Amino acid sequence: MKWRKGGSKAWSILGGVLTIFLILGWMTGVAWSDNSLCFGCHQDESLKKQDARGKTISLFVAEAGFKDSVHGKLSCSDCHTHVKDDKHAEGGQKAADKKVNCATCHEKAEKEYLQGLHSKMIMKGMERAANCYDCHGKHNILPSKNSKSMTNISNIDKTCNRCHSDAVFVKDHALGAAIPKEEFKRSVHGKTGEVTCTSCHGSHSLRSLIDPKSTIFRSNIPQTCGSCHPDITKQFTESVHGVLAARGRSDSPTCTTCHGFHGIKAKVDPDSPVNEKRIALTTCPQCHAAEQISKEYKITTTPVKSYYDSFHGLSYRGGDTYSANCASCHGVHDIRPSSDPKSMIHKDNLQKTCGTCHPGASENFAKGKMHIVASISGEDFGEKVVGWVRIVYILLIVSVIGGLTAFNFTDWLRKTIDRGRH
Amino acid sequence: MAKKYLRMTLNERIQHLNLAINFTILVITGFALSYSTAFWVSPIADAPLGMTFRGFLHRLCGVATLTLGGYHLLYLAFTARGRGIAKDMIPGLKDGKDLWETLKNNLYINRPAKALKMPRFNFREKLEYLGLIWGTIVMTVTGLILWFKTEWLQFFPMWSWDVARAIHFYEAILATLTIIVWHFYAVVFNPDVYPMSWAWITGDLTEHEMEEEHGLELEKIKAKQRGELKEFPEAAAVGGGRVYAIRREKVEREEGKSPSVRRFYGIVQGFNEMIKNWKGT
Repeated sequence: MKWRKGGSKAWSILGGVLTIFLILGWMTGVAWSDNSLCFGCHQDESLKKQDARGKTISLFVAEAGFKDSVHGKLSCSDCHTHVKDDKHAEGGQKAADKKVNCATCHEKAEKEYLQGLHSKMIMKGMERAANCYDCHGKHNILPSKNSKSMTNISNIDKTCNRCHSDAVFVKDHALGAAIPKEEFKRSVHGKTGEVTCTSCHGSHSLRSLIDPKSTIFRSNIPQTCGSCHPDITKQFTESVHGVLAARGRSDSPTCTTCHGFHGIKAKVDPDSPVNEKRIALTTCPQCHAAEQISKEYKITTTPVKSYYDSFHGLSYRGGDTYSANCASCHGVHDIRPSSDPKSMIHKDNLQKTCGTCHPGASENFAKGKMHIVASISGEDFGEKVVGWVRIVYILLIVSVIGGLTAFNFTDWLRKTIDRGRH
Repeated sequence: MAKKYLRMTLNERIQHLNLAINFTILVITGFALSYSTAFWVSPIADAPLGMTFRGFLHRLCGVATLTLGGYHLLYLAFTARGRGIAKDMIPGLKDGKDLWETLKNNLYINRPAKALKMPRFNFREKLEYLGLIWGTIVMTVTGLILWFKTEWLQFFPMWSWDVARAIHFYEAILATLTIIVWHFYAVVFNPDVYPMSWAWITGDLTEHEMEEEHGLELEKIKAKQRGELKEFPEAAAVGGGRVYAIRREKVEREEGKSPSVRRFYGIVQGFNEMIKNWKGT
């Protein structure tokens, strides 16, 4: 070579340094980024092995998918740190440990995950409980901001539903018959595209329904919903229902009692339990007309019964949405007992409450007893009077109509008999 | 064809039809509220704004019935025929006797059956007419209380409204059943008139029907006609057709009806006269 012949010292130093750099570069390349050695074998789609149970496992790794992934710049051996396998040893190559430990880098996520339900299930030996790669993928992990990522907000439901909408899985793991997929898709939350499974259930630290630290534990539900609906949660926690729910009364309703779970619908949707056409038929009466609850809390089922017999209730049951339902007078999230001065049905507020629909309602208008049941043995004077009116009228109807019918029957009988004789 | 006797003028038949339609709508739209989950209410309940329209229609027909009642009162007060009706409608001891004897006939206690001669309005009709007046008053008063609750509850306690509501409901049952049991028997299921008495359409009764139900009235009419026949030659000799007209004017003036009132309600009267002439009776 020309430069060697020239014997220039400077050139030889430069050459030496370059050589060192080249060697170092090659070494680092093997160690950190040049995975060509691994891919030399693992891009063969037919590469397989059999695990201890005799199950065939594909050892194919798509190079393109890996290069595009968030870990694309890492070396295989960064994750597959430990090799004991004979096959790899033969070739003199480093090879993968059986288990990849994500926690090496993702320490915080691991810590959260270990508190969650999925990790506990794995510790119990459950086979299909989700590991890191079940939700994040393996070689093709994309950042969650990428719309193709398995953990992108638009794909999370698909990721979770791979197991949780599988009827066999749901049955095997005793999750009831709950298959949230379709329900959620049709729900008001599902339609927004901004709320997904993890919004309520959490992600790494997702916990069981019966875990008091769970976001979906009964008394935590108002706070979970409140992360998006803070005003409503504030109203609710001060209401009679919210106070009891916070004390752990399982009979006291929380958000989901009225709104449902996965299939929450907008209140204008006729299928929504809080639709104005259903609220007084199914939603409130599910507790307030229930014998057990009314017995326990000394609330009678009278309000529901008497409402159904009142003008409001009769018209409502005929589909009249202008007619008052439970919420019209009692409020929605902020229902308070009548003794509470902030209650819509507190005696000082009744005139205003009635006046919403009956403009010009006087003070006297709001004084009367509501939810009366006509009975001669009733406590209220009005109940007694109406009870007596009913008895008098029923006697009157029976005697008058009975008398008229009997009279006409004799008339008809005579005329028919006489006709037969002629 | 048998001789016919005017029972209802066209005006009265329109009143009757008006009441029948309004009453039917009131019954349907009223009970559609009381039994709003019943199967037959579904056409109302399922329609958009069905219950709101139901309420509106109920009030509308209530007002119509009330207006008809008002008109009927004026008709009774300011027409000669109306005053006649009102007078003949007053119940008396004879009606009680008629009822009693009819019952005895029906039960074969009277053997042979006593032939009863009943007046222009027999006990059946008086009972129903008075019942109708009673019912209209009760339903109007309670109905207006229910309607104008804001105004009513300025002065009266809530329980009075509840009482009005109870009365309105039970009186409605009473009225509806009375119409079905009493009225429909008399004009439909009564073997004498079955399948139907046509008087509400044609306006008249046959001589046979008059004998059966209004024997006394038939006798009266016949006696009057005999009298008119006697008078007829005299009238014809004096002035022919015009005599009747002059005489009528004179009679009215003697009855003390002021000309302005007559002008006001003359339309009704003239209408009736026209129908009468048109029927040729």
